[in-house]
Amino acid sequence: MKAKDVKPGKVIRVLDASTRPIDPATGKPLEPRAQPGYYPGYDVLSQQAFWDAATRKVVLDRVRKIPPIRFFTPDETDLFRAVCDRIIPQNDRDSDHQIVIVNFIDERLHENRLDGYRFENMPPDQKAYQLGLRAITEIAQHLYAKSFLGLTTLEQEFVLKTVHDGNPPAGHDIWKRMPVHRFWHLLVQDIVGIYYAHPYAWNEIGFGGPAYPRGYMRLENGDPEPWEVEEKRYEWEAPLGSPSADYGAIAGMSEHPGAPGQRGTH
Amino acid sequence: MKTPLFGAFGAPGPKHMLGAMQSIDGRMRKYGNQGEVDFCIVGVGSAGGVLLQRLARAGFSVVGLEAGPLWDTERDWVSDEAGSHKLYWNDLRITGGEHPLTLGANNSGKGVGGGSVHWAAFVPRLHPSDFRVYSEDGVGADWPICYEDLKPYYELLEREIPVSGPAYFPWGDPHGYPYGPHPMGGCGDILINGCTKLGIRVCIGGPVAILAGSHGKRPHCIYRGYCIQGCKVGAKQSTLISHVPNALEHGAEIRDSCMVSRINLARNGSSKSGTVTGVTYFDSQGHEAEQKAKAVIVCGYAIETPRLLLNSACPGFENGLANSSGTLGKYLMAQAGNVVLGRFPELIRMYKAPPAHAMTEEFYETDTKRGFARGFGIQTVGPLPIAFARQMTIAKGAWGWGMRRVMMDYNHWGAIALLGEILPWPDNRLELAAEKDKYGIPVTKVTFNLHDNDKKMIEYGKNKVMEVMSAAGAEEVVQEQRYAHLVGAARMGSDPRTSVVDGFGRTHDIPNLFVCDGSVMPTQGSANPGLTIQALAARTADYLIAQSQFGLKKGAHSSETPRIRYDLSPPDTWGKGVPHLK
Amino acid sequence: MKAHDKFGIVRSTIADIPVDAEHAAHEITVHIREGRFQRSLALIAGFTGGMSGLEVAYEHYKGSYSNAIMYTPVILSQALLIAGVSGAVSRRAARTILPTVSAITLVDCAIGFGFHIRGIQRKPGGWRLPVFNIIMGPPLFAPLLFGMSAYLGLIASFLRRESASRFARPGRVPLPTVSRLLPAKVQRDEIIELQEVREGRFQKHLALSTAFATFFSGFEALYSHYKNNFKYKIQWSPIIVAGLLIGASLGAIWKPKVAKRLLPTASALAIANGTIGFCYHARGITRRPGGTKRLLYNIIYGPPILAPLLFAGCGFLGLLASMFRRER
Repeated sequence: MKAKDVKPGKVIRVLDASTRPIDPATGKPLEPRAQPGYYPGYDVLSQQAFWDAATRKVVLDRVRKIPPIRFFTPDETDLFRAVCDRIIPQNDRDSDHQIVIVNFIDERLHENRLDGYRFENMPPDQKAYQLGLRAITEIAQHLYAKSFLGLTTLEQEFVLKTVHDGNPPAGHDIWKRMPVHRFWHLLVQDIVGIYYAHPYAWNEIGFGGPAYPRGYMRLENGDPEPWEVEEKRYEWEAPLGSPSADYGAIAGMSEHPGAPGQRGTH
Repeated sequence: MKTPLFGAFGAPGPKHMLGAMQSIDGRMRKYGNQGEVDFCIVGVGSAGGVLLQRLARAGFSVVGLEAGPLWDTERDWVSDEAGSHKLYWNDLRITGGEHPLTLGANNSGKGVGGGSVHWAAFVPRLHPSDFRVYSEDGVGADWPICYEDLKPYYELLEREIPVSGPAYFPWGDPHGYPYGPHPMGGCGDILINGCTKLGIRVCIGGPVAILAGSHGKRPHCIYRGYCIQGCKVGAKQSTLISHVPNALEHGAEIRDSCMVSRINLARNGSSKSGTVTGVTYFDSQGHEAEQKAKAVIVCGYAIETPRLLLNSACPGFENGLANSSGTLGKYLMAQAGNVVLGRFPELIRMYKAPPAHAMTEEFYETDTKRGFARGFGIQTVGPLPIAFARQMTIAKGAWGWGMRRVMMDYNHWGAIALLGEILPWPDNRLELAAEKDKYGIPVTKVTFNLHDNDKKMIEYGKNKVMEVMSAAGAEEVVQEQRYAHLVGAARMGSDPRTSVVDGFGRTHDIPNLFVCDGSVMPTQGSANPGLTIQALAARTADYLIAQSQFGLKKGAHSSETPRIRYDLSPPDTWGKGVPHLK
Repeated sequence: MKAHDKFGIVRSTIADIPVDAEHAAHEITVHIREGRFQRSLALIAGFTGGMSGLEVAYEHYKGSYSNAIMYTPVILSQALLIAGVSGAVSRRAARTILPTVSAITLVDCAIGFGFHIRGIQRKPGGWRLPVFNIIMGPPLFAPLLFGMSAYLGLIASFLRRESASRFARPGRVPLPTVSRLLPAKVQRDEIIELQEVREGRFQKHLALSTAFATFFSGFEALYSHYKNNFKYKIQWSPIIVAGLLIGASLGAIWKPKVAKRLLPTASALAIANGTIGFCYHARGITRRPGGTKRLLYNIIYGPPILAPLLFAGCGFLGLLASMFRRER
């Protein structure tokens, strides 16, 4: 999105240089790319003729058919989009290759598509999102006396980090209705679930994608299939001072095993 | 090649496909719900599928009611992680306790084939010691049956599935497998490297219910790594592709998308005894209907089975059917399934090959030196990107740029997992909540707490798995706590005061009501329960067939072990396979 | 420096070798040239058959013997081994058991080839994914490669024994019973052909067989090494050598000169390459996860240990062809 297209108060994705990852060799921001990641030239979608029809439809629909917003209000949508942009930042992607997240979560909530359970101390997912977004607004107000959308990306990250760390400075009445770490989990698990379901993200991480009727033949030693590419690494650093670049335990999780959302792995 | 010969693969043909080659012609015997059938099976999953096939083949009229669809694997299943959400039981359940279980994708399936549609298909047997945990270790419970009772059924099901694995499996009761082992993928190599360095014996290439070789109309595995998204190839066994086609050929009816709401009972006067007459269910259009049956077998798995029995409470059975002991819904178990993730300097690409392909049971049995009863196994897993990203949100607390960075290294990570035995405790339970589902049936509330022995086991096991990962050469090792599988809550036992069903799955309270699924297991070992569930189903079927001559509605004529019926196996079971240790 | 002996055989001067050894080498050449090496060829057929049988045994193990017919080549390979050894010991066995077992094995190989084609078709995507399914499906030409041993056994049954006098007229070969059903003219041609085999005059025939065997073996090397992403440059070598040997064998059919010069060189290269390949495969097996501690699994699922030796066997076949006389 170009700056002139952005309506006042609706600043969503400004590809401002300071929000982009940095090339450590020059100290300058990296140019946005069609495809970040270490597998330049790799294109999962180029293999779609080898997929079965049902899979091809599901994956292509995901790329081409963006569902309309039906659950969130317009204000919530803008706010949530900004939150998604911090949980999975895409400032290193050019505007043609950014992955839409909000609409798919909105669709899930609109259709009440559940994951099969709800923690006893959590409200229904829809309510949890509404409450959570309200709490984020309150934290932004508390820390910076501004709306979340009015903050710089770094400030937005600091707001979210308080939720990640389990010590949000505001929204206490909301956190009485749902545990902070459970909300954080709902949020990040939904968002990463949408981002890494997208073929652009598969290209970024070098994932082989759908594999039927054609399977894989080079099973060991990380060898690429004939249609995959070798890894070509490059150095990059997160924007200066970004708190999400560091890894850290989520408060409350170590005492609370049984984390939500993992698909069965065995 | 830019495309397959003759262009992209097109839409599937008109046939109802179960796997790449096998089709069912769509004609199915219909009993209608006016008359009374011999058996009504509630839930056509791992156990239900086997029972349906056995009973139909033996000539009984059988109707299977399944809450989910009768899948057409070509149309309904996709080779995609997010697109496979519909395979799981996603309806609302409330989960709580100190260490709440996650449900849905983690452990329950919906649709014909049930959980076997999305299991990773590790199929180890229980050990002989698993059947007498209380006698040996003073914890948990004893089974009313012993290993030798189940052993012939393990052997039979291993042929019917058929199981691929080594010719010699050294733990428990040593045995070999009818199909050969699989080649290794990245995670298998990690487990073998780590275990070999530490001097831990490791089992390569199985045992898994994934074909290493063709089997009738099921092809050899194509090593695509989408086992838990439903195997479109038909190489991984689910009862949908191994037993259901044969059941339909022999006149079984499956009514899919039918949710059973209660089991109906005819009470003997005002006494606390009675016989079941059939079930009430909501059909695929949402209309309420009734199916009468001489006997009802509930195969709904550890949550839906107790939920249905609890919801069928009626005068004389106020606490739910078959609950005179008060143990229904209690002693629910999950296994500890901590996933240990390691980053390697070299590429792994763990999305290739089935997630399940190497394991060790070296730590399975009780070792008093470790300070806790029972043990654990270590197995390969192979999380696809979404599962891996979600694991990273917990294992590393990743989000934002940190998440993007670790995911760019997805191909450098490998994963192996703990599978630890959590003991049965009465406070790990499920009950009916006040909230109701779309049919008006109360949803389940599950409560789960880890006890001291469980915590010690998890701590020790987790560290051992991390040690293996480090020994394999990982430069960074992290882990995520989770659970795997779900059994118990309608346990079998010889004492009606402390258990729900007897050793054959017959409820102590009602002679023609049976339970047959993972919920009957009194303890769980550290073996994946799939094979045990199917073996128990085959055994219950043999018992039902043997007892039928005395009338299906009557109580046990004898509790003698029935003759095992080798003649009821699906076709292609016999006359092939590799030489192996018996 | 070359010399022609009185029989017109080209002999390289091998001055460093003691006279006895030189003499012995000369003797062998003459025996082969004149078709008097039934015992040796029966042994060779038996042992190559036994060896490919081992490979079949573990390759079919990887396919879980999911069809009982998969046991037949394993059993027949051992029968061929026994028949080959008996053929070496007894003239009678060489005329009876050896050709019978060889013929049955050939039929089994043809059936196996059919099953392997079907096996590829039955994989998801079938022949529409030829590259992937040939690599991951049943090895397409392996049954035919195994058939080469049976073919050698059949040839051996028509040869003369080493002990036969070189000056006696080679006796006539009784025609196989089935041939009696054929028209008289075909029978006559067959008798001439068999007689030529008996006299060691079938260079062109064997050169063609070498070309086929090398193609089967080289094709397997090509797709197996492709499956392994040609991780080591040396994995290209059997493919290049196979090309060379196929060229030399086909050339040998046209020109005697090629048969005498290029064919033995290419064959020697193939033998050397196969031997080196064997060492690399053995090393590859020990370097797998678990290494020698999981030897059996790693032999079965690692680089195929016997495949390079079978490739070397093709070189041996070429060498043999180069030593024969040409058909009249």
